[in-house]
Amino acid sequence: MAVPLLELKNLVVTVGRTPQARRILDGISLTLEPQEIVGVVGASGAGKTVLSKAVVNWLEAPLHVQSGQVLFEGQDILTIAEGEMRTLRRRVAYVGSNPMGALDPTLTVGSQIVEKLRAVVPGLARAEAEKRVISLLEAVRIPSARSRFNDYPSQFSGGMMQRALIVDALVTNPALLVADNVTQPLDVTVAAQVIRLMKELTADFSTAVLFVSSSLPVAREACSRILVMEDGRIVEEQSTEALISRPNYPYTQELVAQTPKIWSEKAEVPRLSDDREVVVSLRDASQIYKVRRKSGFGGVNEVRAVRNVTFDVRRGDSFAIVGESGCGKSTLMRLLSRLERPSSGEVRCNGADIAKLHGKDLMGFRRTLQMVLQDPFGSLPPRTSVGHMLEEPLRTHGWRDKAKIRERVLKVMNEVGLAQALYEELPLGLSAGQRQRINVARALVLEPEILIMDETLSALDQAEQFKLLDLFQKLQKEYNLTYIFISHDLAMVRKVCNRVAVMYLGEVFELAENDRLFFDPGHPYTKALLSAMPTLEERRYQPEDCLLEGEPPSPIDIPAGCSFRSRCPHAFAPCATINPSLTVRGDQNFAACHLVVPPLATAAQDRQRVIA
Amino acid sequence: MSVIVETSPSRIAPSLTRSIPRRVFDKAASMPGFRIGLAIFVLLVLAAALYPEISGIDPTKMNVRARLLPPLFIGENWSLAHPLGTDQIGRDMLVRSLVGLRYSFLIGVASVVVMLIIGCTLGTIAGYFGGRTDSIIMRLTDAQLSIPMIILAIAVLGVSRPTIPAIILVLGLSNWPVYARIMRSIVMTERQREYVRASKLGGSTDLRIILTLLVPLLLPPVLFTSVLDVARMMIFESTLGFLGLGVQPPTPTFGNIIADGRKYLLNAWWIATMPGIFLGLTLTSINLMGASLERARNTIHGGSE
Repeated sequence: MAVPLLELKNLVVTVGRTPQARRILDGISLTLEPQEIVGVVGASGAGKTVLSKAVVNWLEAPLHVQSGQVLFEGQDILTIAEGEMRTLRRRVAYVGSNPMGALDPTLTVGSQIVEKLRAVVPGLARAEAEKRVISLLEAVRIPSARSRFNDYPSQFSGGMMQRALIVDALVTNPALLVADNVTQPLDVTVAAQVIRLMKELTADFSTAVLFVSSSLPVAREACSRILVMEDGRIVEEQSTEALISRPNYPYTQELVAQTPKIWSEKAEVPRLSDDREVVVSLRDASQIYKVRRKSGFGGVNEVRAVRNVTFDVRRGDSFAIVGESGCGKSTLMRLLSRLERPSSGEVRCNGADIAKLHGKDLMGFRRTLQMVLQDPFGSLPPRTSVGHMLEEPLRTHGWRDKAKIRERVLKVMNEVGLAQALYEELPLGLSAGQRQRINVARALVLEPEILIMDETLSALDQAEQFKLLDLFQKLQKEYNLTYIFISHDLAMVRKVCNRVAVMYLGEVFELAENDRLFFDPGHPYTKALLSAMPTLEERRYQPEDCLLEGEPPSPIDIPAGCSFRSRCPHAFAPCATINPSLTVRGDQNFAACHLVVPPLATAAQDRQRVIA
Repeated sequence: MSVIVETSPSRIAPSLTRSIPRRVFDKAASMPGFRIGLAIFVLLVLAAALYPEISGIDPTKMNVRARLLPPLFIGENWSLAHPLGTDQIGRDMLVRSLVGLRYSFLIGVASVVVMLIIGCTLGTIAGYFGGRTDSIIMRLTDAQLSIPMIILAIAVLGVSRPTIPAIILVLGLSNWPVYARIMRSIVMTERQREYVRASKLGGSTDLRIILTLLVPLLLPPVLFTSVLDVARMMIFESTLGFLGLGVQPPTPTFGNIIADGRKYLLNAWWIATMPGIFLGLTLTSINLMGASLERARNTIHGGSE
């Protein structure tokens, strides 16, 4: 029998060297054949990252290999000398999950990859190395690779950076690529591109990939075989489709069952009548930032972050704003919460233009509309006790009675499921889920009517997300809250939101009810988003038909006409000149595309003929 | 590497009753360094407050017959009446050092307070608001930095009379830029953090955010380092005294005692040494306490208790 490319034999990794030390990896055995993509899936803390580092012999103290072997082409890489390992690095490569932190910001991307190549392949001429790097940058479809070669890391977007790092890994023609959560920081459409790229590369460069991921649907996209990890052990190993249709181990079953389904499950969102009171309404809201030009003589560039956004949110709605990074979601959030005033247009809340509020009215607005922020770590002041943090908004709003404040805070803590014992504690050592509950509590303490959730759940793992979503639904029923979810996670949106706005480059491309959006999207961009979503079900929209190439244009120079034109598979002549406006698609559904035919279009065409 | 930190309720329960500042203080109080520092400090404060009055010795009274007496048990003609000896005109060194300690300490603490108030206020404003405010304040800071302290002291104290408030003001005014710089840089990084945004969403005004959120968070580490500056200011005061621009004789301060004693260093070393020892003791005790508090704060906020 041929020697497999990679074989782990009963690998045990512990924290520290004592025999009682905690085992992070507990008897891992796996094999990897050439050109195979094998997925490793597990919850956070299951030991996936340690496994991927062990495979490339990168464990640092206090992590310690207690027993077992990592055989690469039959050779145990944990025991070989450092010099030999360095030559072996040519054959084993690693890509991590933080593309932006992986390169030195003061050197150009190209020179860093060349440096790595020359370090592991001594004696290679610089010119030759450069040529190879540029050809690889082209292979991963970085546009105008030759000039990009001399760009600095800050000039690359996240998706491009991840591709550059894949080049960095592939530049030595490795036999094994360890990809540790590579798609995690990327947008769905870009992540789909990266996965497709990796699949092509295994064929083109005959590389085997160990694909470590925390998300089963993502691993399903990429891998032919999946290993499931729990608490440092491999609990199940099956080919991808078999694993999804017939999971054996309880944890895997749970994982498969918990993965949200978009099309095969009915959304539990209640149908709400259309004549509810409008609580938040945007009228042509736009925001333009002026950025000083870096080259040439002065002058400013206008970044049009939000462009003519118009929609209404009614009381009791769970309204979702979805889109990829850079689409203006966060700017819109800042407008809605009056952290910034729109440069034109209006944002109205309960009938009043919030840009004009000040003094008492502004405080009233703040009480009505609260927001839960995204980052569970940065959004809590590090040296304030939890109780004090929650008291602060009350004090700001003029509460003075200490006993009353304490009572209110404890009530809210109880509602969101925080132990009372945390009152005098610092938020240190709390899990992301707990911290996010504090965030929710801080927003709820003022008894708001509207809550904006700015990517509130994106930092949490699946199980924790479900718990919080249940909490949100419970709170909504109890207090008749209106939610505005800002998210890139379509599966979550499908589950909880009744109305969805899809944004691209600062514009709303589609505005529709939940069912209509997911089953009959009007805009090609929505279709592309749906097709790029990693899921465990049969797709309604095939990536082959809809998947986007490239990345969104820069918001500094938005092309004339339809801004989606550069990536749209259906673009035709009018798209180049006329920017489509939101067109009615019946009922309360709108899409901004020339291909959308309004119900009254036939009548309009008749009229045109008469004029002509 | 992703590590899940679990907090079990049982670990939290016992400390529920104590607030965080209280815990920091308790932790510091349990350190030997803090206790030693506190003991020395209390001793010095009590001595400086009480001894000159109780002993009834006038620190400025001359006694030519008892001039240049050495401290206890040193040489031949030491006397119990003057435990630390006397100076060239027979004044008691112990009383003079303790009275000197009063003035030096007053000047040291007060000038650091002045410096902190000016520096932290300007730095916080510059860092928080940024833009034009920031550039104006920072140019002001640069201008202040470009004037050497000694020159400023000579100019101001040479023209006006070198009274204690004037000295405090000069010392405070010439050293605030450092604090302005530090505060500005830390406020600048903190003001962009999400929790500041969260506070804004809660309806806090800028002033409120600065006073209730940023200052309590950022000032303590600055305060702990400023304890070291108390010592530095005491030395600066001595420098001024040495130049004759400090507190004027006959009022004793560390500076002018040491300046006086320099001439007699060979035959009466104790005149310059005694205030030096007191200076050293005071600074050691302050530093011991400051360091323990800082360490306690870091352990509590670092989550190890």
